[in-house]
Amino acid sequence: MKLIHVTSLAGVFFGGAVLAQDLPVGDPAAGRKVAGMCQTCHGLDGYAKIPIAPHIGGEPAGYLEAQLTAFRDGTREHEMMSIVAKGLNDSQIADVSAWYADQIATATLTADKAAAPAACVACHGADGIALVEDAPNLAGETNIYIDTQLKAFRGGKRVHEIMTDIAADMTDAEIRAAADWYAAITLTITASE
Amino acid sequence: MKTLTCAVAISALVAGSALAQSADVPDNLEKLSNFQTTGGAGFTYIEQGGSYADGIKKTLEQIKLPDGFKIELYAVVPDARHMAVGPQGIVTFVGTRKDKVWSVTDRNKDRVADEVKDFAPSLTFTIPNGPCFSKDGFLYIAEQNRVLLFPAAEFFYESPDVAAFNLVAEGELIPPEEASFNHTARVCDIGPDGKIYISLGQPFNVAPADKLEKYAKWGIGGIIRMNTDGTGREVYTYGVRNSVGQDFDPQTGDLWFTDNQVDGMGDDIPPGEINHQTAMGQNFGAPWYGGGSVRTNEYKTEEPPADIVMPASETIAHAADLGMVFYTGKMFPSKYSNAIFSAQHGSWNRTTPVGARVMVTFVDDDGNAITEPFAEGWIDANGEYLGRPVDVANLRDGSILVSDDLAGALYRISYGQ
Repeated sequence: MKLIHVTSLAGVFFGGAVLAQDLPVGDPAAGRKVAGMCQTCHGLDGYAKIPIAPHIGGEPAGYLEAQLTAFRDGTREHEMMSIVAKGLNDSQIADVSAWYADQIATATLTADKAAAPAACVACHGADGIALVEDAPNLAGETNIYIDTQLKAFRGGKRVHEIMTDIAADMTDAEIRAAADWYAAITLTITASE
Repeated sequence: MKTLTCAVAISALVAGSALAQSADVPDNLEKLSNFQTTGGAGFTYIEQGGSYADGIKKTLEQIKLPDGFKIELYAVVPDARHMAVGPQGIVTFVGTRKDKVWSVTDRNKDRVADEVKDFAPSLTFTIPNGPCFSKDGFLYIAEQNRVLLFPAAEFFYESPDVAAFNLVAEGELIPPEEASFNHTARVCDIGPDGKIYISLGQPFNVAPADKLEKYAKWGIGGIIRMNTDGTGREVYTYGVRNSVGQDFDPQTGDLWFTDNQVDGMGDDIPPGEINHQTAMGQNFGAPWYGGGSVRTNEYKTEEPPADIVMPASETIAHAADLGMVFYTGKMFPSKYSNAIFSAQHGSWNRTTPVGARVMVTFVDDDGNAITEPFAEGWIDANGEYLGRPVDVANLRDGSILVSDDLAGALYRISYGQ
C-alpha cells in the first residue's frame, strides 16, 4: 500500500515545480528582512521558538512557498498563519522561502533506523530530513505538532494528495508513535555561508 | 502492572485517609489499565546549574521591578507553562505545551529549586498545559482533550508510576474533530464551591458562525465547571476567545480571567482583557467583539447577545495576557494585598513587540481595576525576546513564581531582605 503512494510522487514534484515557476525567484537577503515577522515563532534561522510552530530552517523552498500560498488563498488554515500570509505578496513569499531554505538543517538520529515509521520514510526520511521537494523535514518537530497535522489530514482539515491517504488509515496510537519518532531526533540549523 | 499495584494502594488511601476523604473521585479505577505505560520508565532530570542557568541569570539582571523587589532564577524548567504549587509547599508542578509535566522541588528550602524531573513518566501526555491543586492535595492536569487526577500527588510524585484517574477521559473534553494545537493550552482551578473550572479556548482567530451553537453547547470559547467526581459538567462562561489564565478572588469568591484577543485588525486594536465574572452563564463578547468594545469585522452587522460583560481592565493590544493569580502572601507591601499578578507572553506579529512582562492589577472597592507593569525587560533593543512570561503563582513564603516558556525557567520575585 505504501509503495503505491511513493509512485505517485512524480505528480507532486510536478505540482511543486509549476507553483515555483509562478513565483519570482526568491532572494534570501531580502527574505531575511521579511523573516522579521516570522522570528518570534519560527526563529530567524528557522529553529522554532514555540512548540506550536514548526522548524522551517532548511526546508525545501518549494514546500515553504506552497504552504504560504495555501495559507494566503485559504486552502490551508491556521488562526495565526492565515493572517500573516494574507499580507504577503508573491515576491515576499519567494524571498522568505529562499531565506529559510538557505539555512542548513542537520538531523542526528541515535535510534535504530530500522524502527522508523514505514509509512513516512520514503518522503520524510528515517531521520526526518525530507527526500522530496514537497515534503517538510520532520526532525525535531514537537510531537504534538506532527500529531496535530496528521490528525488534520485524517479529518480533512488539511488536504494533500499523498498525506490525506496515508493519515486516513492511521490510528491515534500510530499517529503518536510516528510523531514521537521524529520528535526524538535532534535537529540543528546552521547558516549557509 | 506496577501502575495497578499503586492504584490499589491509592484506593485504600482514598477510602481510609483523612487526607483524601473530603474530595470525590470518579469511580473509574479500571480505566487505569488503558493508560500506556513504558514499563517502568525512568525519570528525566534537568540540570540546574551550568552555562544555561548563567545565561538566564544574566537576562534577569536587566529586569526592572519596583524598589525593594528582586527577581532570581528559581529553576530551569524546559517549556515551562502553568504552575500549581502543592498545598503542603513540597513541590510545584509545571505544565508544558509538549508532552511533559515537570515536578520542581526545593528540598533545602533556600528558595531555589534543587531538583526538576518529569512527573509520571510512565504516562503519555498531550499538551499537559494546566495543572491545578485542590486544597486537600489532589492534582488535576488539564490536557488538550483529557483531564487526569492524581490523589496525594505531593507524596506520590517521587515514584515514576503514579496512580491516575480520568476526571474527563481522552476525547471527552471537546469533540476530537475540534482539537487544534494552538488555543488548546488549558488552565484549571478549583473554585470556592469545590468544583473544577477549566478553560476551553476556541481554535479560530474569529469563530465562524456555523460553529457557535456547537461551541456554546460544549463550552468551547468559554469556561466549563464540574464536580470533582466528573459529574455535573456545565458551561460557566460564554463569549471567551482563548483564556489561558484564571483565578478566584479570595475575598469575594468571584472568577477573574484573562482573554487573548483577535489578531489581524492592526497593531493597536483590539485591547487584551482581564475579566471579572459575577454570575454563572455570563457572556464576555467573543466573537461579536474582538476585545473590549471593538467589534470584529466578521460580525460587524450582527446583533450581539444582550448583557455582554465588558472587561474589568483593558490591556495593550496583542500583549497576550496569560496566567494570573491573586496575591495572597504577606511579604510584599500592603498595597499588593489581593492584587492580581498576571503574565503577558508578548505579541507575535505586532510591528513593535509589546508584552513579555509581569503586570499587576489593583482593584478598588467599587470594582474598578487598574493594570500596570510590575516586572519588565524581557524584550531587548532589537525587539528580540529574552524571555516570555506565562504564569504567576504564590509561594507559601509570600514570594511569587513566574514561569517562562521561552527561556524554560521559573523565576522567584521576593521583597526586602
